[in-house]
Amino acid sequence: MIENKKHAINSYLTFKLGDEFFAANVSKVLNILEMTKVTKVPKAPNYMKGVINLRGSVLPLVDTRIKFDMTETEYTTNTCILVLDINMNGEPVHLGALVDSVQEVLEIDDVNIQPPPNIGTRYRSEFIEGIAKVEDEFIMILNMDLIFSTDELSVLKESFKEGQEEVVK
Amino acid sequence: MDNFRKKFIEEATEHINELEKALLELERDPENKELVEKVFRVMHSLKGGGAMFGFDKISEFTHHLETIYDLVRNGQMYISKDLLDVTLASVDHLSNLLNDEKINDQLTLEKHSELTKRIENIISQKQTISSDSLKKNHENNSITSTQSSKDEKISTFYILFQPNEHIFNNGTNPLYLVDELYGLGTCKAIPHLHKVPDYYDIEPTKCYTYWEIFLSTKNDINSITDVFIFVEDECNIDIHKLSDTNLLKNKQFLKLLEEPRTGNKDIGINDLQAFVSKLSSAQSIKEKKTEEKVIIASKENSISSIRVSSDKLDTLMNLVSELVTTQARLSLYAEQGGNPELIAIAENVQKLSRQLRDIAFSIVLIPIENLLTRFQRLVRDLSQELKKEVSFIAEGTDTELDKTIIENLTDPLLHILRNSLDHGIEDPATRLKLGKPRQGTILLKAFYSWANVHIQISDDGAGIDPERIRQKALSKGIISVDSTLSHKELIDLVFLSGFSTAQNVTDVSGRGVGMDVVRRKIADIRGEVEIDSKINIGTTITIKLPLTLSIIDGLLVKILDTFYVIPLTAVDKIYAADHNKLTKTFNNLIILDGEQIPFFYLRNEFGLEENKVKSEQVVVVHYEDKRIGLAVDNVVGEYQAVLKPLGKYYKNQEIISGATILGDGTIALVIDSNKAIKYFSNQFIQNQMMEDKK
Repeated sequence: MIENKKHAINSYLTFKLGDEFFAANVSKVLNILEMTKVTKVPKAPNYMKGVINLRGSVLPLVDTRIKFDMTETEYTTNTCILVLDINMNGEPVHLGALVDSVQEVLEIDDVNIQPPPNIGTRYRSEFIEGIAKVEDEFIMILNMDLIFSTDELSVLKESFKEGQEEVVK
Repeated sequence: MDNFRKKFIEEATEHINELEKALLELERDPENKELVEKVFRVMHSLKGGGAMFGFDKISEFTHHLETIYDLVRNGQMYISKDLLDVTLASVDHLSNLLNDEKINDQLTLEKHSELTKRIENIISQKQTISSDSLKKNHENNSITSTQSSKDEKISTFYILFQPNEHIFNNGTNPLYLVDELYGLGTCKAIPHLHKVPDYYDIEPTKCYTYWEIFLSTKNDINSITDVFIFVEDECNIDIHKLSDTNLLKNKQFLKLLEEPRTGNKDIGINDLQAFVSKLSSAQSIKEKKTEEKVIIASKENSISSIRVSSDKLDTLMNLVSELVTTQARLSLYAEQGGNPELIAIAENVQKLSRQLRDIAFSIVLIPIENLLTRFQRLVRDLSQELKKEVSFIAEGTDTELDKTIIENLTDPLLHILRNSLDHGIEDPATRLKLGKPRQGTILLKAFYSWANVHIQISDDGAGIDPERIRQKALSKGIISVDSTLSHKELIDLVFLSGFSTAQNVTDVSGRGVGMDVVRRKIADIRGEVEIDSKINIGTTITIKLPLTLSIIDGLLVKILDTFYVIPLTAVDKIYAADHNKLTKTFNNLIILDGEQIPFFYLRNEFGLEENKVKSEQVVVVHYEDKRIGLAVDNVVGEYQAVLKPLGKYYKNQEIISGATILGDGTIALVIDSNKAIKYFSNQFIQNQMMEDKK
């Protein structure tokens, strides 16, 4: 497995959370599933949706929107589960991530990927591998390993998180 | 070749363990000839195997050890404590050598030369002593005189050596073995080549030749069997003593051997014996018996058990798990279809898969006894080092546990034992002053209890002083001056990380990495640790472990739309209960069968809304020595659950120990009833305290 930034493949799967576009390197995505029956696990944090049956094995399901400090996912016909292969501190872990909709697979050359700007984004830069501009849309390429192996609840910057909470209040 | 080496390392590790075990037994029973014999045989195997696979250091090193035990075996030397010390140290060194055969590590090298010197010392001492005694009491010393007269006696043996076809696969060259026999005395080997096929059919990886060998030697039958010691299983060996004379000097005999035989026939032991009995009518029956014994023993050894790689076992367990899951689907499908024939088949499959599951299970279960050698060794070495006298007693060592559990249990148990030895047991002088027996006792007790195996380690040592723990906790800021803690709560503080009460950091324990690590490691295998201690009476540490990690018999229950499995071994009884009695209660008690039973309403505990039905069901489970009810919507039935872990993302999820997939693909969650009840009762107490404050 190739560490962090560099991937052997230049293909990226794009998906939407709310109105924002995100992308994950296809080497991280094993499978895309339609929404299926979820078994809720009692007494678990709210971003852990529960577990699903993936061909005989038990797959934990994460509500990606909550990780991104958005409201809980509402299930629509577009809601999908990305089955991800995450490198969690050196150990491969499989999990399902809920996204609002899956868009397409794009070829993006490394030269077209800009490093994440420090200002102007709500997200903490270590979670963003880079930003690519495709047809007037900015797509944030995510470091899936880091996002899903951290115990921290949110990938939002501290300042934004507090700000948002205040707004909510 | 790498494969052979791997196989050798695997075997050698086993040999080394066996050796250690035999040596510890020998310490208790130094007169036991069989044990000496065993030690010798294992060493011989190690030496031979090491030489064959290029572990020269091991071979050379074991050779010296073997020399000593050969002397012991022949009654020229006696087992002494000193000797055992050296041998045990050597055994440790051998396992180091296995990992580092070229001796790259400086420390190992020093150790190597030191031990070699010590061993050589012992041998040379012995030789001077025995030669001295020979000189002095040449006439009255009966042992040495028979020994020497035996040495001069030459006997002739007939050896039929039939390697099986695959002997080359192990890297054995049968010719070397024949050569080795030539080294023992006058020898004549007659190869039989008639099994060798035509040139075109020949497979070079197979061995077609076998030998009839005649050997006149001063040595006894043991030294001949020793030659074949590590090919025992790969060939057919038949050894007979023909005569107490050197037959190979007998012209008649030689003529018989050279006689042309028709039809590629072997000379055969029968003809020979007839011939020999003609030569000397008195052939002792006694020796025949011992010959038979040798042959029978080697055959028995090969049948009793086989070695299987643990990968294969893991695969087997996975497949059985899958089978059980699939069988559940089949049963469900059969019942829905209502076809009586299909139902009958499904029931049969269920029965078979259950049996298969039980057997597959028992294969991966290992008795705790397997760990004991290491513990005995630790206690022995450490008590010497610390100058304490300790007897180590183990009870219930036939208690069996899953091999994964056993593997993960070793380190925590070693740690606990080390603690007991270092901090628990006092030195003999202190013990006598306290009116205790001079020798301390450490008792390891294993037994079954409901769905668990308990392992208890108790010592009769100093115990833990709760006052010292309080001081320590105060100084570390863990508790405040005014906090009141019960005896048990105080003692439980030792499980906190960075907490070690030992005044001095010793070589053995007390580095502050202690009981917290033990607790975490035990928790990894779904176990629990409890500690109880009284000053000057001793400390008891109890480890509770699940029997197995992969399949459990469970009770399938439903709450809202989710299925849960409660381990059947914990379940006592199921009752129907009135909804109002469950929800309109202030003390969480329900009367069942005239008995007051505390219960938890699982919907509440799981943060779900109340049920709107009249009647619900209460599953009464065992919790410690109490009975506690768990109220669920309804009980579905018995179910064999193949446990699947919830994974890292739910690692903090204590009350659910795993998940299982039902016949229709739905996931059911497996409740760990012990941990769940503990969790609920803690919450219950917290809630009450909150209410009290209000």
